[in-house]
Amino acid sequence: MKTSAAKTRARMTRGRFSKAVAGGVTLALGLSLAACGGGDSSAGGAGEFHVLVYGDSANKVEKQIVDTFNKTSEVKAVLDTVPGADYQQKLQTIINTPQAPDVFFNWGGGSIQPFVKADLLLPVDDLIAKNPGDLGGLKSNFLPSVYDTAKVDGKAYGIPMRGTQPVLLFHNKAVLADAGVQPPKTWNELLDAVRELKAKGVTPIALGGGDRWPTLMWFEYLYDRIAGPELLQKALSGDKSVWESADSRKALSMLKELVDSGAFGTNYDSVKFTDGGSAALLATGKAGFELMGSWEFSTHQNDNPDFAKKDLGYTSFPTVEGGKGDPAAVVGNTNNFYSVLKRTEHADDIAKFLKLMYSDEFVEAQLAIGNLPTTTNTAPFLDSADNAEYLKYQFDLVDKAPTFQLSWDQAYLQTNATPLLTAVQQFFNGQIDADGFIKAMQALTTS
Amino acid sequence: MKSDMAAAPGTVSGAAAGAPRKRPDGRTGVSRPGVGWALPAALFFGLFAIVPLVLVAVLSLTRWGGLGAPEFAGFDNWVTLFHDPVMIKSLWLSVLLTGLGVLVQTPLSILLGVWAAGPQRNRAVLSAVFFVPLLLSATAVSVLWRALLDPNFGVPAQARWLFGDGNLLGDRTGAIGVLVLVSAWQFTPLHALIYQGATRAIPEVLYQAAAIDGAGTVRQFFHITLPQLRNSIITSVILMVVGGLTTFDTVLILTQGGPGTDTTISAYYMYTKAFKSFDFGAGAAIALLLVVVATVISLVVVRVSGYDKMAGTKDGLS
Repeated sequence: MKTSAAKTRARMTRGRFSKAVAGGVTLALGLSLAACGGGDSSAGGAGEFHVLVYGDSANKVEKQIVDTFNKTSEVKAVLDTVPGADYQQKLQTIINTPQAPDVFFNWGGGSIQPFVKADLLLPVDDLIAKNPGDLGGLKSNFLPSVYDTAKVDGKAYGIPMRGTQPVLLFHNKAVLADAGVQPPKTWNELLDAVRELKAKGVTPIALGGGDRWPTLMWFEYLYDRIAGPELLQKALSGDKSVWESADSRKALSMLKELVDSGAFGTNYDSVKFTDGGSAALLATGKAGFELMGSWEFSTHQNDNPDFAKKDLGYTSFPTVEGGKGDPAAVVGNTNNFYSVLKRTEHADDIAKFLKLMYSDEFVEAQLAIGNLPTTTNTAPFLDSADNAEYLKYQFDLVDKAPTFQLSWDQAYLQTNATPLLTAVQQFFNGQIDADGFIKAMQALTTS
Repeated sequence: MKSDMAAAPGTVSGAAAGAPRKRPDGRTGVSRPGVGWALPAALFFGLFAIVPLVLVAVLSLTRWGGLGAPEFAGFDNWVTLFHDPVMIKSLWLSVLLTGLGVLVQTPLSILLGVWAAGPQRNRAVLSAVFFVPLLLSATAVSVLWRALLDPNFGVPAQARWLFGDGNLLGDRTGAIGVLVLVSAWQFTPLHALIYQGATRAIPEVLYQAAAIDGAGTVRQFFHITLPQLRNSIITSVILMVVGGLTTFDTVLILTQGGPGTDTTISAYYMYTKAFKSFDFGAGAAIALLLVVVATVISLVVVRVSGYDKMAGTKDGLS
């Protein structure tokens, strides 16, 4: 208001002063706008705490849960959303300032490790310690394989707050039937299927290599099947020699064999999942398989509903003969998490807020928007949800999984995402060999 | 602040109102405008160009992940940078892409600009159509081209004889070719516009004289139009060089620096360092290096072409 009045005044001023005044007004306008911008994110003022989340369509549920909490609580929760693409940057910039939120959304693993090292986060145990009986549920009500991925140095720092997204091997039933191929249970069956599909003139496996993270999924599963989850755990804790181990070399040579057999065709690096390219290959029957996160299902339901209903099949990743890893282990995005800042003044109220993350209301609301929660009370709700069969399959898979490997690009510190994905792409397209890949992995930072 | 700014223009209007003064060199003329006129622009430039540049220089000497206070690191970032094969490769790639861009866009835009300057009847409509890419954002252009070049559902799928398996973006030569093509498609209209304006400013009398001497269209083009466009060519090349060295959005959307690091040009590398890896020190060092390289190249172009002497192209005309 003030500034528009000033503008009017500027317009009325005549003569040689007018430009100077206008210039001053412009500056003043800029300053007052900047002042306004800062006003909405004051950290946990009197009787409220701020919850910062990644802005997308799932915010509907987060809003609903915050409203539920605020109905009964004296101290109010305030939900702040930051548009997805800017989220990580914004968080990084404000987390150590007075504008920092009290609770924030994250991906567990490497995404919170620097914050833990900077001593910014409150361990879940510290919340529970104040009120063990009442708050014990913050530990026991979640699937352990998921819960474990928000642990840093053995301590939990996150409460799962959205849905899990395991990586599955999807297939086109019609294409497989046409080639006389069964969904593969073992790696050798997969290699056979690749040969059969190729003979039929179909790209055996669709791969969005342009995005690079879909390529990474093949490494994640094969390493897990062959060496077990320990290899990456050791690598993450700084033991870089594991990349040179026999298991690591075996995984790389099997990947190489798969690529060289033409399993992905030749132009996979020009295809992306994010613009629909690879999913379209599967849906139009130009490819037989695609290894993708569970979101593949809803992608097809939106883009190719007929295909999703009729011909979209899914299995877990094949077992590898002689591998040390448990064939029931899964990889992918375990869940998203809420972590709490140490300096919050409302730890007790936040603990009560976090208890809502395993309430029936939470489970129902997440299921309604297609997310699969990872609380122990989820199972009975699955029968009445849309796509009950698909959800039950995934829940079973994650429930029975001894370990759930967080995607490598999220398990590692973010510093490493670009070099990691570059190495993965270069190994697939032959720019580097096994030694080059091992060297690139050893160059990643772990602390 | 306000009173300062108000006082400065005051002296100017006073001077302008007075009679032309005698200068020490004996020539008479209106005195130059006071420094006050430059103040708003200088303030703006200082605040949004000089200050950030200095801050970037300071930042390049620190280690900072966006958490806590930046930690002084001396020349660590710079040493790492000069030993980083990706960085060195990225500089070469930037220069290569810029060079290819100039080579492709300059002839195209001169021809188009000269043609669009003519009096033909269809010219206005066709130029308007041709200038459309100028109105589109680089992001929209890149997304559009990605869809067009999809190897399985785009143009390459329909023209296997030309594109083979269509692995344009998965292959070094292909990816560089695509980047050159897309920026040419996007920026040629801008440069054509520069040439169109410059061509229209060429005095008609030159062509009339040449026609009397029996010079045909081609000869007129090479002996009148092209020499007269010299200064515009330099302007346009400098714009292309600076634009080329800072190309970012097309790389981000089309190739993400891939395959491998084969299209990771310096500007994109800076982005991944600063905003993907949160290594702001290294990002700042690359940014500063880019500023230096772009400045040097621009200076060289200006010097070599003699643009700094502002030689006119109208000698002997008046």
